[in-house]
Amino acid sequence: MERAEKIGLGVATAGHVLLFGLLSAGFLATPNPLKLKSPPMDVTLVDEVALQATAPQVSTQPPPPSVAPEEGPTQEARPAPEPAPAPEPAPVPPPPKAEPKPVPKPVSKPTPPKEVAKAAPAKPKPMPPKKEVAKAPPKPKAPPEKPKAAVAAPSKSDAKTKADAKAKADAKAKSDAKAKSDAKAKADTAARESGAGKADKPKGSLLGKDFLKGIDTSSDAPRRPAPPLAAAMGPQQKAALDRVISEQIYPHLRLPSGADVEQLVALLDVKIDRDGRIIGKPSVIDIQGETASNRPQVSVYKERAIQAVMAASPFRNLPPEYYDQWKWLSPLRVYARKAR
Amino acid sequence: MTLNLPAGAITDAATISPLALFLQADIVVKGVMIGLLLASIWTWAIIIGFSFSLRKASQESRKFEADFWKAEDIDRFYESRGKAEFPAAKLMAAGVGEWRRSTAQRVIDRDGTRDRLSTAMSSAIAAEIDRLSDRLNILATVGSVAPFVGLFGTVWGIMRAFTSIAAEQNSSLAVVAPGIAEALFATAIGLFAAIPAVIAYNRFSHGINRLESSLTRFADGFYATLSRELEAQR
Repeated sequence: MERAEKIGLGVATAGHVLLFGLLSAGFLATPNPLKLKSPPMDVTLVDEVALQATAPQVSTQPPPPSVAPEEGPTQEARPAPEPAPAPEPAPVPPPPKAEPKPVPKPVSKPTPPKEVAKAAPAKPKPMPPKKEVAKAPPKPKAPPEKPKAAVAAPSKSDAKTKADAKAKADAKAKSDAKAKSDAKAKADTAARESGAGKADKPKGSLLGKDFLKGIDTSSDAPRRPAPPLAAAMGPQQKAALDRVISEQIYPHLRLPSGADVEQLVALLDVKIDRDGRIIGKPSVIDIQGETASNRPQVSVYKERAIQAVMAASPFRNLPPEYYDQWKWLSPLRVYARKAR
Repeated sequence: MTLNLPAGAITDAATISPLALFLQADIVVKGVMIGLLLASIWTWAIIIGFSFSLRKASQESRKFEADFWKAEDIDRFYESRGKAEFPAAKLMAAGVGEWRRSTAQRVIDRDGTRDRLSTAMSSAIAAEIDRLSDRLNILATVGSVAPFVGLFGTVWGIMRAFTSIAAEQNSSLAVVAPGIAEALFATAIGLFAAIPAVIAYNRFSHGINRLESSLTRFADGFYATLSRELEAQR
């Protein structure tokens, strides 16, 4: 009997050692076909994001309103005279003059003035037109683009028509100085239109010269650069600010234990003074990620989130130039899953 | 997070290595595991030894019985084979010894001799059965207690796993799984020891009962023979 038991003991020991040896060597190990390959990957930490804005700042000012004279189709007429020697500008300016002046005067008195003019002492009368002709040539000099020939031609014709008109007027009322002065005035305006007025004329717009009087056109040409506002904080700076704040909050955040607590997000209302201290006590605006399983932990988590923010209270490394951005953090999101 | 596994432990999570699980375990769980392992070894030693001895006893007794009924002369048969070390031979030795002592007297008390023969042979059967079933109680004990011991190790290990969860503030599977696996390994060893023990216990009990009944039948037959001889004795 003893012999049988000894044999049994030896066999049993050997069998156990063999079995456990095989198990340890992976004899019954299930081959794991889903061995996940995790090749090493390069990770760049985003800690290098600067707090100072380096990106070009976009102006917050609206562009100045576009004014009508800029849009007129006649603007094209202006460059045209520049290269053209004579023919182009010459036909363009005369029509307005030729139309208004000859039309009213010759129609009213077609024939009699000529006789009168001839008969009348016309000597003093041709003088003014000559003066004007003399006047006219120097005026085109002001707008240098205008060729003299082009201006001289219309002015001469003007002078002739005016002389006619004056002759008529004189014939009608020789002693009437009034008529003379009228005619002179007319001649003057005509001369002005033909000479000095030419600079404005080509615009041809229906808008008057003083159309832009009330508008500050100074803002048109020199565009002011946008002031470096704190409000112009870019997304990078915002992210950096968020990171600076969360770096200081999450080490203090201790989660309550419970299922699905990591899904909770507390939205806090936090006011911070310029030294980074919290003003008053933060309040919880809202809780997100609440489920049936973590509902019992919600109130505890609210407290923990407030405690974490309070514990981090003198916030460091907050950019003072962006104080407007962090003086009132509402909502400041405290993610349970980021707790350490 | 990484567990500080001792050198040699297989860290592949897919491999259920008993050695790795054992080495990770708490000291209490380790003690439970070692105890259960020893119980398992002892159980198997008993199973192997017992099956040998029981089969040998049954076979020898059956053969002895068959030869006995074919024997012409009981005395001669006893002289030649009655000194063997198995139950039937012991039974016969007890009967023949009592017979010889009773018939050696001048006046034979027949009733008293029958009583003594009966008592001697039944006590011989009981002695043999007791001797054979000596180890069976160990199997019974291991079979009933080992699961509880393993469960104790599991409970302890899971308590420890929860403590580590609380300490780490982290309930991810990576923290919980190793502790629970090593804890459950204790129950696995407990069942590993208990299941063969229970099966062997039931089987050996049955074998012992069969041997006992066959011995009893043989003893009855032998008693009847001796009783008849006593009638003829004058």
